[in-house]
Amino acid sequence: MRMMVPTRPSAGADGGSEKRVLLMGNPNVGKSAVFSRLTGAHVIASNYPGTTVTFAEGLLRVDGQRCRVIDVPGTYTLEPTSRAEEVAVEMLADGDVIINVVDATNLERNLNLTLQLLKRRFPMVVALNMWDEALEHGVTIDVPALADLLGVPVVPTCAISGEGLKDLQQSLKRAAAGRLDYEDAERWHVIGDIVERVQQVAHKHPTIGQRLSHATVHPVLGPVLALLILAASFELVRFVGEGLIGYAAEPLFDLLWRPLMERLSVALGSGGVLHDLLVGDLVDGQVSFGESFGMLTTGLYIPLAAVLPYVFAFYLALGILEDSGYLPRLGVLVDNVMHRLGLHGLSIVPMMLGLGCNVPGALSLRVLETRKERFIAATLLAICVPCMAQIAMIAGLLGQYGAAGFLPVFGTLFLMWLGLGVLMKRFTHGATPEILVDIPPYRLPYWGALLKKLWMRLKGFFKEAIPYVLVGVLIVNLLYTFGVIGLLSRLFRPFVTHVLDLPPEAIGALLVGFLRKDVAVGMLRPLDLSLRQLIVASVVLTAYFPCVATFIVLFRELGWRDMLKSALIMVVTAFGVGGLLNVILSGLGVN
Amino acid sequence: MDGKEAMTNLAALPAGRTAVVVGFNGGRGMMRKLDALGLRPGKQVRVVSSQFMAGPITVLIDGRGVAMGRGIASRVQVRTMG
Repeated sequence: MRMMVPTRPSAGADGGSEKRVLLMGNPNVGKSAVFSRLTGAHVIASNYPGTTVTFAEGLLRVDGQRCRVIDVPGTYTLEPTSRAEEVAVEMLADGDVIINVVDATNLERNLNLTLQLLKRRFPMVVALNMWDEALEHGVTIDVPALADLLGVPVVPTCAISGEGLKDLQQSLKRAAAGRLDYEDAERWHVIGDIVERVQQVAHKHPTIGQRLSHATVHPVLGPVLALLILAASFELVRFVGEGLIGYAAEPLFDLLWRPLMERLSVALGSGGVLHDLLVGDLVDGQVSFGESFGMLTTGLYIPLAAVLPYVFAFYLALGILEDSGYLPRLGVLVDNVMHRLGLHGLSIVPMMLGLGCNVPGALSLRVLETRKERFIAATLLAICVPCMAQIAMIAGLLGQYGAAGFLPVFGTLFLMWLGLGVLMKRFTHGATPEILVDIPPYRLPYWGALLKKLWMRLKGFFKEAIPYVLVGVLIVNLLYTFGVIGLLSRLFRPFVTHVLDLPPEAIGALLVGFLRKDVAVGMLRPLDLSLRQLIVASVVLTAYFPCVATFIVLFRELGWRDMLKSALIMVVTAFGVGGLLNVILSGLGVN
Repeated sequence: MDGKEAMTNLAALPAGRTAVVVGFNGGRGMMRKLDALGLRPGKQVRVVSSQFMAGPITVLIDGRGVAMGRGIASRVQVRTMG
C-alpha cells in the first residue's frame, strides 16, 4: 500500500459547486458496499491528514451535478473512543450532505449515531441497509413512520443486490437537517421509543449463519474451524498464485518479452555498461529473467511475474476473510496466546496485513492503544512476518525442496515470533488492554466492494513495489560496478562465512534487503546455495531489518527511541538465530 | 438457580446463560465503549461462549455478538434470569 502525503481532501480544487457527500455509519453495516455501488471505477484511497487512518473517495453524479463521495471510517458514536473515530468526527466538518448508513437488522444500536448526527443539523438521508437480511430475520420497519419521526428521508437499501440505491441517490436532493430534538441524557429513551413505534420483530429460528457464528467462537470447535479456514485460505493463495505464474505470468514473459530482450541484447552489443544495466548478465549466452539482474529483465520479472500473482492471490483471500466478518472471531480465538506476547487478540490483524506487505501492517498498528502493544507488535512484525513479495521469492528458491525447505524457514520465524513476544512482554513497561470488539454476523462478501478493495491494494503495490524494485536492481548494478560489494564482502567475510556459513557475496543481498526484500532474495539465486544456506539466508533476510518503506512508517509510529531499541533487537535476533540455525541444521545433517 | 434472580457479573456466567445488565464497575471511557456496542443497563445478554484459560467471552445483545476480555466482563454487573 502506498503512503500518501497527508493532504486534507479539499473542496476547492475542482470548483466550489462540487458537493461533498459523507457516508457515515457504524462499522460492519455494509458502508463500503454502498460506497462501491454509488461511485464509479475511479476510487482513491487517502490518508487523513496527520494520521494513518485511510478512507476511500469516489465520484457520483446526481442529475448532472458532480458529488464527491467520501467513505468515512466506521464509528459507533460522535463521542470518539479511538483515533479512527476521532477522524470520523473531524471529517464531519468537511461535508455538505451525510448519508447515514444504518443496519436495518440492528436498528437500535445504529440509531445512536443517527440521533447524534441529527443533533448537528446537517442535511442528511438515512439508508436502511441490509433490508433483505432484516426481512429474513423477521424484522419489519415502518419506513414512512421512521422518516417522519427523524425528519429526514429514509430509504431501504440492499447494497449487495443494488436494490434501493437509485432511490438513495435521488433522495439526496431531499436531504434535510431533521427536526428531532432531545436531551443527550435521554437519547437511549428516545431511541427506545422510536424503535418501539416503527419496528416489529417476529421470532425466527436461528439461521445457518448464526449457528456458524456460534461455532466459530466455540472454545473447542472454534480453533478446529480456524485451522481449516486458514488452511483453506493458504491453499487458495497457493493455487491462485501458482496458477497465475505458471499459466499467465511466465508464458507472457517468455513468449512476448524474451524476444524483445534478446533483440535489445544484440542491439546493445551483448555487453557493456548500458547492456548490463538494462539487460544484465547473460547466463550461458541467454537472457535469464531470474538471474540476469538487468532493470528490464529481472527488474520487471520480480515484481510482475514472481511477486504480483501471489500478492493478488493474498489480497483476494484476505479480502474474503475481512468482508465475511471472520477476522474479529479469529481475534477472539487467539486472544489468549496473544496476551502471552503482551498483545491482545485483534493484534492478529496487523500481523495478517503484514503478510501481504509490511507497510500497511505497520500503518495499522495505530489501532493498538498502548505504547507497549505498538512496540511489541511493530518489532514482531518487522522481524518475524515476511511480506508476500518475499514469501513468493522464497517459494521460488525453496520450491524444489518442498516441506524440507519451507518448514525450517517458516517454523523458525514462528518460533521467533512466540519467543521474542514472550521476552518483550516481560521487559516492556506498560499495559495491555483487553479485547472488546463487535462480532458482526457472517455475510457473503459483495464482489463489487471486494474487487474494488483488491484493486486499490494492487494499485498501492504497483506504485510502491515497481519503482523500489527497479531502483534496487539499479543499485545492485552500481554496487557491483564500483566494487562496493567486493569491498564489503571482504570486510564481513569472517562473520558471514563463519557464523552463517554463507558465501561472502551474500552480503550484497543483505545490503539490498534494506531497500527491497524480494530483490534481495532474488540475489541469492545466482549464488548456487545449498539447502542449509538457503534456509539460513531466508530467515536472516526476513528478520535482520525491515525494508526502507516499512522502516519509514515504523519510525513515524514508534519514534526514534523505540525504533532504535527495536532495530537493536532485530539485528541481534536475526544474526543470533541465523548462527544458531546454521549449527542446528548442520547437526541434523542438512547440507 | 431455581428460577430465582441473583446478582453476579458477566464473567461468572456459563455459556448459554441469559442475564440482564444492571451496571458497570469501571471508568467512563470503557463505559462509553460498552454503551456504543449496545451493552447498557436494562439490556438482556446471553453468553454464547467463553474461551479456555480466562480467555474472552462472547455475548449476544439484541441478537448481535460482542466479545470482551474476562476483566471487562467481570466488571459488568448482571441479574440472572432463572
